[in-house]
Order: sequence, then structure tokens, then C-alpha cells
Amino acid sequence: MSKEYLGEFEELVLTMAGILQDEAYGNAIVNEIKARVGRDVNLSAVHVTLYRLEDKGFVKSKMGGATNVRGGRRKRIFTITNAGLAMLRAMKESRMDLWKLIPQLKMVGI
Amino acid sequence: MKEHTPPRFALRLLEWFCPPGLYEGIEGDLLEEYDLDRSERGATTANIRLVFNVLRFFRPAIILRNRFTLKIINTVMLGNYLKVASRNIAKRKLYSFINAFGLSVAIAFCTLIYLFVQDEKSFDQFHEDKQRIYRLHTTNFNSEKHAQADPHPFNSHAYLPAKMSEVMLDEMAEVESITRFTDYNSGIMSYGTNNFNQRFACIDSGFFRVFSFKILAGDHKNPLRTSSDVILTPEVAKKFFGDEDPIGKTISLASNGTKKELRVTALIEPPPANSSIDFSMLVSFEAHPWFAQSREQWGNFSYPTFVKVRPNTNMDLFKVHLDTLTNKYLGERFKKWREREAIPAGIKPTEFDAMPITDIHLAKDISWTKVSDKKYSWILGGIAILILAIACINYISLALTTSASRRVEVGIRKVVGAQKKEVAWQFTIESVVLALISMSIGLVFVVLFLPYFNEFTQKSISITLTNSFFIVAVALTIALVIGFIAGAYPAFFLSGFLPALVLKGRFTSRLQAGFTKPLVVFQFFLSASMIICSVIMYRQMIYITTKDLGYNQEQVIAVPTQLGWVPEGKDVVEQYRNAVKTNPSVVNVAGTSNAFAHGLSSFGYRIKGENKEAFIYAVDSEYIPLLGIELIQGRNFDPAIHSDSTAVIVNEALVKDMKWTDPLNEHLNWKEDSTSLGSPVIGVMKDFHFMSLERSIEPMFISQEVGYLMNILVKITPEQIPEKIEQLRKAWVSLYPDKPFEYTFVDEDVAKQYDMYKRWSKIMGLSTIFAILIACLGLFGLAGINAINRTKEIGIRKVMGAPLTSIFMLLNRQFMFFALIAFVLAIPASWYAMNQWLSSFKFAITIGWQLFAVSLLAGLSLALLTVSYHAIKAALINPAETLKHE
Repeated sequence: MSKEYLGEFEELVLTMAGILQDEAYGNAIVNEIKARVGRDVNLSAVHVTLYRLEDKGFVKSKMGGATNVRGGRRKRIFTITNAGLAMLRAMKESRMDLWKLIPQLKMVGI
Repeated sequence: MKEHTPPRFALRLLEWFCPPGLYEGIEGDLLEEYDLDRSERGATTANIRLVFNVLRFFRPAIILRNRFTLKIINTVMLGNYLKVASRNIAKRKLYSFINAFGLSVAIAFCTLIYLFVQDEKSFDQFHEDKQRIYRLHTTNFNSEKHAQADPHPFNSHAYLPAKMSEVMLDEMAEVESITRFTDYNSGIMSYGTNNFNQRFACIDSGFFRVFSFKILAGDHKNPLRTSSDVILTPEVAKKFFGDEDPIGKTISLASNGTKKELRVTALIEPPPANSSIDFSMLVSFEAHPWFAQSREQWGNFSYPTFVKVRPNTNMDLFKVHLDTLTNKYLGERFKKWREREAIPAGIKPTEFDAMPITDIHLAKDISWTKVSDKKYSWILGGIAILILAIACINYISLALTTSASRRVEVGIRKVVGAQKKEVAWQFTIESVVLALISMSIGLVFVVLFLPYFNEFTQKSISITLTNSFFIVAVALTIALVIGFIAGAYPAFFLSGFLPALVLKGRFTSRLQAGFTKPLVVFQFFLSASMIICSVIMYRQMIYITTKDLGYNQEQVIAVPTQLGWVPEGKDVVEQYRNAVKTNPSVVNVAGTSNAFAHGLSSFGYRIKGENKEAFIYAVDSEYIPLLGIELIQGRNFDPAIHSDSTAVIVNEALVKDMKWTDPLNEHLNWKEDSTSLGSPVIGVMKDFHFMSLERSIEPMFISQEVGYLMNILVKITPEQIPEKIEQLRKAWVSLYPDKPFEYTFVDEDVAKQYDMYKRWSKIMGLSTIFAILIACLGLFGLAGINAINRTKEIGIRKVMGAPLTSIFMLLNRQFMFFALIAFVLAIPASWYAMNQWLSSFKFAITIGWQLFAVSLLAGLSLALLTVSYHAIKAALINPAETLKHE
């Protein structure tokens, strides 16, 4: 697991896929990032990242059911895998470990 | 339901580059966003954003997800395509031959043109520091051009004062090494009993530092140590010394009345054919008899100069420094010149400039031994493209008109499951196969044509190991391009058949491919233009070679005195005259400074404040009778009258130029003698063409004192010329055993002036023949198909009682009509082109309607002849044969 490495954007997208669960497809993730982080990201960037994550085995995808919206095109739903969850967790922990090493400034009377 | 009208091309683009597996998901997301944009921001913004978003997906991370099988064609079917293609080629031998012949000639032409252009571009590229070597040239103000309001009233030439190179080397920091180079010297060289009139080049010792010609043997470091050293190419060394070792041997050089011993110090690699610097023998300038005198003359512009600048020299600055230097040494002279010639202020009378050595071959405005014109590459390229176009049109129109027989095949293929694209690929592959076959034949043609091509273009291109690779590469490229271009339209056309219609047999046996008609007309147009152009060129060649030049050039031979520009020339003429005048086959012997087409001297002088210029010939009293020049006034020089030695005989043009009304009472003060009236005029010659017909007849005069006799003209009686020449040679050898006997026929010399035009009209003629041949073959094929398509119609007509002639007319009418349209189009085009060409002659034929009529008649009868074969054949078929199956 330690061999694999996630970039910042990959981690963000993976997290969002985890949050959205069964509704995690390209556009939804773009909107979710906009809503929660306030960041404007491009759809193509998200797609590319999702495919890369799928290559690495952190998400898996399947086609959703047909709908009347979006011109009848089906959605590609991405679900986070156990490996993906483990990766997220490992990254969070290692970051927390590092965080603890920073000498904490005391917030005195603002 | 929402209405989706996103820009379709964007989604098609996405579909094209997006991996199929991902496409639906991505497209869905895009459409979702599009809908949102549309409702929030309007359709226009949504459209723009969609296109933009699609483009954002065009990134490696998406594109590279495609599995690259690159299925351009179905490889499974490839074998089948090839098999069908080869069967078709073999089945229709005539059409395959027509196509293959046309294409292979076209490919051969294109390849040859490629070789030509390559050779032109390769000139002087072999010098190691070619980007640092420059040739200096002089640009002079030309008052005549200025008077004619020429926007560029200057003339350039490559000659500088001798001193210039010396002061440049001393005073310009940019100059690394410099050399003067003249290649127009010649003299009698002897070693033992070997006497030759040998050309030699004069150089400075900087020559070996500027250029990179290799020393093969002898002194490598400093081969030209003294003024009596000489360097030979192995070929010349062999000529003088045979198999002996030339190094250290001495040759004696007799030139312009002086004699010198030269010691061979080295052998040098001969310059390649694509070198502008040409030499076979190198001598130091100090060895030249006139050099000591002329090197100090700043007004003597006779020395081409080559300079190698130091690395990283700024050439703009170089020019500034050169101008300063020029002004320092020539400023006074320019000032006087400016006053004398009334040169407008702000225009430099003369300046020097540098040109990279690699550019000099194509700098046509500065004359040089091997200079060429880019125009020729363009003309040759144009001809090649014309032939290529004609051959491609043959292929397209034949493929279209024979397509009837392939219809069923297309239908079956489509029914079995071929898609339109695959059928199109099949036909494209077929044409590529044919093009590749043509290519191999074309390469054989290249090898066969190359010697003639070299002769016509005066090149010495050979096929070597290195360039054969490029030749094949070029031929292959052309073949593939032709294959695709010529194959594309028929493939597109044939693959469009609807299987249901084709297989139900609803098509009539006649197939009209409307596109072929304009193609045939275009093809005719190209051939017609070429016919007209070559007829005009041919007529002009006939005109200039048969025009009465105003003197009799037949059976006159010119023999150089081998002494050069010395007063003793006169004695040689006299001695030789005495030696041969008893010979009954010798009609007359005369002396002249310049024989025809052996160089000209013009002389500028000032009369009554006007600058005049006239061409001058030093002659003796036999000159006019020998050449049969007509005197319209006055008399010839008379040896008995002493004062004739200073008299002149002028031509009509000079009389006109001087505005004389009574020329015999005038004096021509060409010496600008202030104490006397000048030379008396004793006769006026009828204008004759002493220069080539490219130029008008300019003022000239002849005199016995205007120069020295350098050539002997001998007029002999006709027939048994070789024997008579041999007698003349014997007479020469017994008089001057140490001088070679060289001779040229004056009429041949005169004809030689037009060699270039002759070569080009030959090239044009030959290409026209090929173009017509290919076009006629194509026409022949088309006419054949036309006749076959209409066999039943003809049968019915015959049964109904149509006479042979009407059927003949019926079949030919269309083609004749095409040919006529093409000619009407070709006339203005070729008229314009030929007017341009003829404008280089001062004496040219006028392009009259007769020429066009002749070309039209020739072209039409050729076309008629071509199509008639099939027409007659079709008309003669027994109608029972063609109709019995109905």
C-alpha cells in the first residue's frame, strides 16, 4: 500500500466518491467539490482522475440505469473500493502523524 | 422531455477521439451540464461551453485510453483486395497499360525534376566554412535604366579592382582570408612536344584558406609559394605528362606575348560539377603578364574576389565597414564620376556588397560561369506537374468510365457485409497498387532518361548510392500521393453504388460519370497549350537559325592567332595568308580582333558632351569582302592608301546614333583627341547582326587601329571540308610548330549562341510529345469505352438504316467538341506565356493566327485520329452481332 501514492486532486476526488456513494458520477463530483470546497474544477479533469483511480483499483465503476434527463445517456457511477478506503485512511493517518510533529502555536487572546 | 440541440460536430469529435467504453458516461455528463447551462445562461453560452468542454477532454489521459489497433483497413480483406486488383489489372491490359505508362512517365519526370532541383541547391555546399565565405560584387548606377524610370537603375557584376582585396585584408578586422579568382585566362602551354591552348585560373595564396579544395599530392601547406608555381588537376597533369610524376616538372606558358616557366608544385582535387569555382590549372596572379600593371589601377574592375570572414561576423556591420573603405579609396573617383554622369544625389554611383557563396549559383543577375536561374526549376517543375495531371486524369476518367463492369462486384461485396468505407479502401488500394507498379517502371525510365536529361539541362547528375535512396523515396512518395489522389474520386464514386439497385439490374449499360467531361477538357487544354507553345518555340528557333544575318557565315573558319592581344597578331595573319593563299580551296583570309560569338569589345567615348558607346572590331582590309558585308556608302579599307590605317567604317546604327546626314564627310573622334577631328569615316556598312538576335543591332565601327588582330578568318570553298581543314592545319604547323592549330566554324559559333534556347525548346518539345502521347492514350481508352457503351445503340441505328458516316460522326462529335473548347481556352494562356518567352529576343516572330491555326489543326487531327479507331471499329460491327442477345 505504501508504494501507491495519491495526489492532492486524486485524494479530493476519491473522498468525494466516498461521500456521494451511489450518486458518484462525473458531474455530481464536480458539483460536490464546488459546494463543499468552493473549488471550480473542470469535468474532464475529474473524469481523467476517476479513470486513473480506477486503474489503481481505488474505485470501481458501473453504468447506472437509463434516465430521461441527459439525453437518455446512462451515468457511469463510481464506487469507492475497500482499497480506496484504506488508502484514504492511511493518508489521513500519516498526515495526522506529521501534523502532530509541528510545534503548535498557542492561540493567546485574540 | 428537454430539447437537446447541442452542436453536433462537438459530440462527433468527442466520439472520434474518445474510447468507446467511456463515451456514454462522458457524453451524458456533458449533456447534463449543457442542459443546466442552457436553462441558466442561454443557448449560446451553453454551446460555447460544450465545445470548450469537449476540447478539454482532448487530452492524452483520455486519448491514450483508446486501444490502438489503428484499424484503417480490414487487414483480413487485404489479401483479397490485392488479388482482385491484380486480376483486374491483368484482365484489362490496354487500360492498365495506358494508366501504367502515363503514371510511370509522370513519376520519372517528377523524379528527374527532383534531381535537377537538388543539384541546383547543392551548389557550393561542399566548402567547410560555406556560411563564412562571401563573393564580393559591384553594383553600378546605370543612367540608361534611370532614364527609362527603372525602379532599380543598377547593374551588378562580380568584378572588383585588384587593389580592393589587398586593402580589405589589411584594413578590415572581419576579413580572415581573401582571394581574387579569375578563370578566363588562357595561354599556350608546352611540355616537350605537347602544346595546348590551356585555360588557367589565377588565384592568391588565400585561395586555399578560403575554399576547401583538397591538395592530392605535392606541397600541402603552401602550394603557391612563388609566382612561377603552378597547380594542376590530375586530368590536366595526365594531358601534359602522361604517366610521369608531374611534381617538380616545368611547363612553359606563352600568353599575350610573354613566356614563362612554371613549376608544378601540387596536384589538386578537381572541383565537382556543382562548384561555382571551376578550374583545371591554378597559377598565382603574379605570373599573369598584365597583373603588375593592373593591380595598381583602381579604375580597372576585373577581379572577382572571395572573402572568408571571421566567425560570428555581423554582416550588416561588415557592409558599413566595406562602404567606409570603398569611400576612402574610391571616393574621389566616385565624385568625378557623379559630376560627369550627372548622377542624382542620394544614389551611390558604385558600391560593393557581399553575397554568400551558396547563393551565387542562383543569383542570375550577376553573371558567372555556371550561374543559373530559378525560373528553370519552376518551368521544369511545371512541366512535370502538367504531365502528372494528365496521367492522373487518365486514371480517373478511365476508372470512372470502366466502373460499369465493377458495379456487380460492389453490389455483392456490400450485400455480403462490406461497408462503403471498405469498398472505397479497396479501390484506393487498387490504384495504389497500379501506382507502385508504375513507380518501378518509372524508376527504369529515370535511369534511361538521365543521360538525355543531363544533356538537355547541361548537368552531370549521376545516380549514386546515396542519392538512389532519395530517388526511390521521392518516387515512392509521388506514387503513393498519386495513388491516393487519383484513386480517391473513383473510390468514392464506385463505393456509392446502392447494392439493391445494382443487383436488380436497374442500371442501364451506359454509365455517365459527369465528372469525366471537365477532366477530359482540362486534359485537352493542357496538351493544347503545350502543342501551341512548342510550335511557337520551334518556329522561333527556325527563324533565328535561318535569318539573314547581313553577312555570309558559311564555310568561314576562325583560327585564333594564339598570341592574344598583341600587335604581332597582324604579322601572324599576314604570314598565314601568304602560306595558304596559293591553296585553291582557300577563298580569302582576313584578320579580326574578335570572331563572331568569341567575345565583344565595346568602347565608350565622349563626343560634344554626350556619352556614346560603340562596339569595335579591329580588322584588316579583307574583312568586309570575306564576310560579304554590304557597303551602302563609301569604300572598304585600301592597303594602298596610307591614311586608311586610321580611318573607320561604321554601321548604319552608328550613323543614326550620331545623327549624321552625310557620314562620309564626318569624323569619328573615338580617341577623344582634342587636337584633331578624329578618324575619318570612309564607309558605311549595312547593319548586320554581329551580336546574337537577342539584342538589337547597336552602333559599331571597324578600324585597323582600334585594337590587335587575335583571330584569322579563312573562307574556304564548299565540300570536302575535312580534307581542306587538314591542309590548313598542315600549313599552320609548318609555320608555327610550337602553337596548336585550333579552329571553329563561324556558322556553328553563331548557332551556339542559341544553345540554351535550343535546349529548352527541345525539352519543351520532348515533354509535349510525352504529354500528347499520354493524353492520346487516355483519349483512346475513353473513346473505346464510349464505343462499347453504345454498341447496342449503334446496332439499332444501323438496322434503322443509318449510314456509316453518321455513326462515325455520332461517336466523334463529342470528343471534337471537347477538343475545340480546350483549344479556345488554351489560346490565350499559351499566347501569354509565349509572349513572355519571345520578349527575350529583339528579333522574334510575330504570333499570328496562323500559328494557332496550325496547332489547332494538328491537335484536332491527332484527337480525331485517336478516337477514330474505335469509331470505325464500332461502326463496322455487324448489328446482328450486337443485338442478337436482346
